[in-house]
Amino acid sequence: MLDQLEALGGKALNEVQAATSLDSLEQVRISVLGKKGGLSEVLKGLGSVPATERPKIGAVANEWKRKIEEAMALKKASLEGAALDQEIRSQRIDITLPSRFSHRGALHPITTTTRKIAEVFGRLGFDVMTGPEAETDFLNFEAVNIPKDHPARDMQDTFFLGPGVVLRTHTSAVQMRALRSREWPVRILCPGAVYRCDQDATHSPMFHQVEGLWVDRHVKMSDLKGVLEFFARELFGAETRIRLRPSYFPFVEPGAEVDVSCFQCGTSPKHECRVCKGTGWLEILGAGMVHPKLFEVAGYDPREVTGFAFGMGVERIAMLLHRIPDLRLMFQGDVRFLGQF
Amino acid sequence: MRVSWKWLNELVDLSSLGTGMAGAQSLGELLTRRGLEVEELQSQSDGWEKVVSVKILERNRHPEADRLSLCSVSFGSGEPLEIVCGAQNMKAGDIVALAQIGAKLPNGLKIEKSKIRGVVSNGMLCSEAELGMAAESEGIMILPESTPLGRPLAEILGRDDIVLTLKLTANRSDCLSHVGLAREVASALGKKVCFPKGYTREELERWVKETPSKVTLKLEAGEDSPQFWAVSLKNVKVAPSPAWLVRRLETLGSRSINNVVDATNLVMLELGQPTHAYDAAKLQGEILGVRSGKVGEELPLLDGTSVKLQGEELVIFDGARSVGLAGVMGGGNSEVESGTTEVLLESAEFAPVRVRRASSRHSKKTEAAHRFERGVDPLGVAGAMGRLVQLLQDLAGAQVSGATSAVLPSRSGEGLKKSRRLISVDPAFFADFLGMPLTEAEIEKELLAQSCEIQKDSVKEWRVTPPAHRLDLNLREDLAEEIARSVGYDRIPATIPKLTNAPISRVSDPSMGALTVMNRAKDSLVRAGLLEAVNLAFTHEGWLKELGFENSIRVLNPLSEDFAALQPSILPGLIRNTLDNWRHHFGSEVPAVRLFELRPTFHLPEGETRKIEARGEMETGVIEKWKLGIVVSGSRQEHGLKPEIAEVDFFDLKAIVERLLQDLGTRGVRFSPLASTRSPDSPLVRMLHPGQSVEILAGNAVAGVMGLLHPRLTRGWKARSALWVVELDWELLSKLSRGPGEERAFKPWSAFPPMERDYALLVKSDVPAEKLVQSALKAGKPFAKSAKVFDVYRGSQVPEGMTSLALKVIFSEDTRALQESETEGASAKIIEAWKKEFGAELR
Repeated sequence: MLDQLEALGGKALNEVQAATSLDSLEQVRISVLGKKGGLSEVLKGLGSVPATERPKIGAVANEWKRKIEEAMALKKASLEGAALDQEIRSQRIDITLPSRFSHRGALHPITTTTRKIAEVFGRLGFDVMTGPEAETDFLNFEAVNIPKDHPARDMQDTFFLGPGVVLRTHTSAVQMRALRSREWPVRILCPGAVYRCDQDATHSPMFHQVEGLWVDRHVKMSDLKGVLEFFARELFGAETRIRLRPSYFPFVEPGAEVDVSCFQCGTSPKHECRVCKGTGWLEILGAGMVHPKLFEVAGYDPREVTGFAFGMGVERIAMLLHRIPDLRLMFQGDVRFLGQF
Repeated sequence: MRVSWKWLNELVDLSSLGTGMAGAQSLGELLTRRGLEVEELQSQSDGWEKVVSVKILERNRHPEADRLSLCSVSFGSGEPLEIVCGAQNMKAGDIVALAQIGAKLPNGLKIEKSKIRGVVSNGMLCSEAELGMAAESEGIMILPESTPLGRPLAEILGRDDIVLTLKLTANRSDCLSHVGLAREVASALGKKVCFPKGYTREELERWVKETPSKVTLKLEAGEDSPQFWAVSLKNVKVAPSPAWLVRRLETLGSRSINNVVDATNLVMLELGQPTHAYDAAKLQGEILGVRSGKVGEELPLLDGTSVKLQGEELVIFDGARSVGLAGVMGGGNSEVESGTTEVLLESAEFAPVRVRRASSRHSKKTEAAHRFERGVDPLGVAGAMGRLVQLLQDLAGAQVSGATSAVLPSRSGEGLKKSRRLISVDPAFFADFLGMPLTEAEIEKELLAQSCEIQKDSVKEWRVTPPAHRLDLNLREDLAEEIARSVGYDRIPATIPKLTNAPISRVSDPSMGALTVMNRAKDSLVRAGLLEAVNLAFTHEGWLKELGFENSIRVLNPLSEDFAALQPSILPGLIRNTLDNWRHHFGSEVPAVRLFELRPTFHLPEGETRKIEARGEMETGVIEKWKLGIVVSGSRQEHGLKPEIAEVDFFDLKAIVERLLQDLGTRGVRFSPLASTRSPDSPLVRMLHPGQSVEILAGNAVAGVMGLLHPRLTRGWKARSALWVVELDWELLSKLSRGPGEERAFKPWSAFPPMERDYALLVKSDVPAEKLVQSALKAGKPFAKSAKVFDVYRGSQVPEGMTSLALKVIFSEDTRALQESETEGASAKIIEAWKKEFGAELR
């Protein structure tokens, strides 16, 4: 009987090895280990074996059963693996085909730049305020100390809509609206479109400004410098320095032009630097201490409060940050341009 | 303003700044630091480094070109050079200017060794234009016969000056002259100004008394012309100006005319006071005066033009007519010419506003007007006359034959003293205001350096009198600027001001809140794959009319017709952008154009057709409405395989708007077919295809439109694909949207599995699917939680005029599992409602 088991087991192992599919393996299992399989058939003869031999034969049979099952498990895993490999091979795709790529949207650089500026000043406590783009001559000019027939009007070539109505040349009118509608302390930031009769690669008849105003008791010119220095560093990098040069804007006194050090070539200006053209400085802001006349128009006492104001061109900063060569690109709605930011 | 470095050197000692270009550069930096921005420094010999004098030995015809010459030129010694030249005005023996190989001329032209029609040219013979000496010139420059050869041209022509171009701000009229600028530089360097010699006001006053002129002065414009000085000269010899004067004027950009006219120009450039010389023989009636122009009066001017007066100008008149536009330009009927022997000189003061109006009105932006507009030093008017007389005695042998003056009390010695500006200030103010440490000694030093007088009434009160020429110093803040720019803005420290109140709340302030909502809208549209456009607020009126917009607001002085009408809608700009994008695209595929813009649009008040006019200080009468516009066209995806990149249709557009409304949390907005609009004549409605567009309604108000651009329009433009557009009334929409303080609240979902039922319905094609959905939700209450259309079929399988719709309804209850019978009950009610309301049958 032991011989029978030996022959059965050896044959079964061979058959397992020879199986080429899960089905044929299952056939082997049924023919050997099934209820009516070879092993059961052999063990039917166990009754005719002496009782003392039985445990030994039982152990041998179990050993063969274990070996066969083990071989079958291995074979099954191998066959399954091969089948999965085959399936996977058949499922291969060309991953280099184009993706189902949705359109990318983007904010205009004017918007992203305005947001950046507003965020920096927002941290310092400025409120954002907007106002109309068609403005009275009074608020746009007279209220900010640019009387009629004053040469300072030459600084801003104006579009007129009717008697006493202009397209605002700066957002300063919003500041005056704010001063009139609020009580000090006032800290406001006025972003928005402004208009001047001018057009070339660096001038557009419409462009955007952000103006800021801080009015309170004891506001000093050094505060203006500190606030602008913070702003310049947040926008252009920690190493940025600012430089104030005396200048004239009718709504401030003293007035200043503010340059920031070139963020491209920085402390060692390079002649070929395309950002600053080798000067090491970028002119980006006009600023100063609020002129007492403005406080009078607003109904504040210039002996009680002081303030500083500043203004910058959004496009100018956006052009610097993104190396945009021509201002007109901003206003053409060209998807080749807008899609880049 | 152009400033001569050499001239300035004569007026103030600049040796501490260095010499030549290095000195001029230090001066430029000094002035810029003090607020007088130097834009450009130009050495007159810039670009002349390799230009020398040569003699033409031979001039031959170029062997290959009739119009070119081949010149052999000599440096006086050494080998002659062959030069190809295109000019015709030279001959052998002429001395000319040669730009040698390596020269880089003022106009940017680089001279290289080159072959011209097969012949090598070793340089270029230059014209005055090429040398930057004239705007245009005919032929090359021929130098005098006595010119030494082989010498640098700059040396020969004495062009060794450096010109500084100053961008002067409107407040610094005192620096519109060399003496004025010298005063500024002297105060910075601690030097003295060396004033040019001339007669004083006292001497002039003596002439007026002792040798009164026969001319009677009549000031008829009151304080608009408060002083007028006139001196009569005889035996004047009008002649060309001496070389130094010609060169000085040319250096500063004016052309020499004759010694008399040049002298008046020199005085203006020197002292900042414009003056004028009349040919006394041409003046009539021995009267000279100032009055307002008569409306319609014709006045011939020096420049050969003639202006028709409007009445707001001041004119100079004689016994018979006007002889000058006061402060702007002399008359063409009384000018000094070569035969003139008797001259009447004028030095006067005119009100800045009157001069500005005259100069703007007649577009005569003259140097004189530029100075009068900004204000001249009232103390300098007589001095300028004194200087002019001195110059004409020297230059033209003139003799004073008489003098007269008309001076209003405000300009008398007493009047000027009385009107001196006194600024009361506590010296401690300056350090407080500037935020920098300043000692009293420093303050005093800087103010004195600016020629201010200081009277110390007490420790806390100084009375400061600024000099008469500084018309811009009126307030203590003006003095603060003087001190700050003198010590240097660099010395001001950087400090951060204290926050003394809370910022305005985003939550409670509507305008701050609106900004948050606006940002949210833009971000939503960017996520939907749209690019933000910014268009100019103006466009061509014809374009607006083509789109159906009438009565747009016009700019009175547009740059051109392309920028003449203010946008009444966002769409004209976005549609124009789309057409432009199509035009710029050369490939076979139509580019996808997906844009949005959020900006104000401009409108006349309802029913208003009259012109825009200010109403009080704050109102313009222009109505500005913020609108959100969208255009979408082209492929659904940026790229992908063919079926997936089909063109967008209405439902892509609808998705963008629905997602926008969802992101904004907008309440109470619905879509209604455009066909049922109550305003069929509105331009936006007329722009759209009535069958593929909707009106977006909020209650009874129209919040916008969305849909396909009308084929009537797009056919005309040969549109390359369907153009889908949206315009929303932003102010209305933003009011209906979730504010910045309103956060979304969590909504729990049911833990129990829902039951689903699918229905295939046959309905008339004109029944909107949305109605079936609404009806199902209503009839299936409270268990029907959602209903969706998931398929639509029209075609051979269903009868004509009918549509097959597939709907899925989901039933559930939040707190328990539904019984089968409950779902069945609700479902039956839904089917019944569909049948009753729409005649819909299950298929």
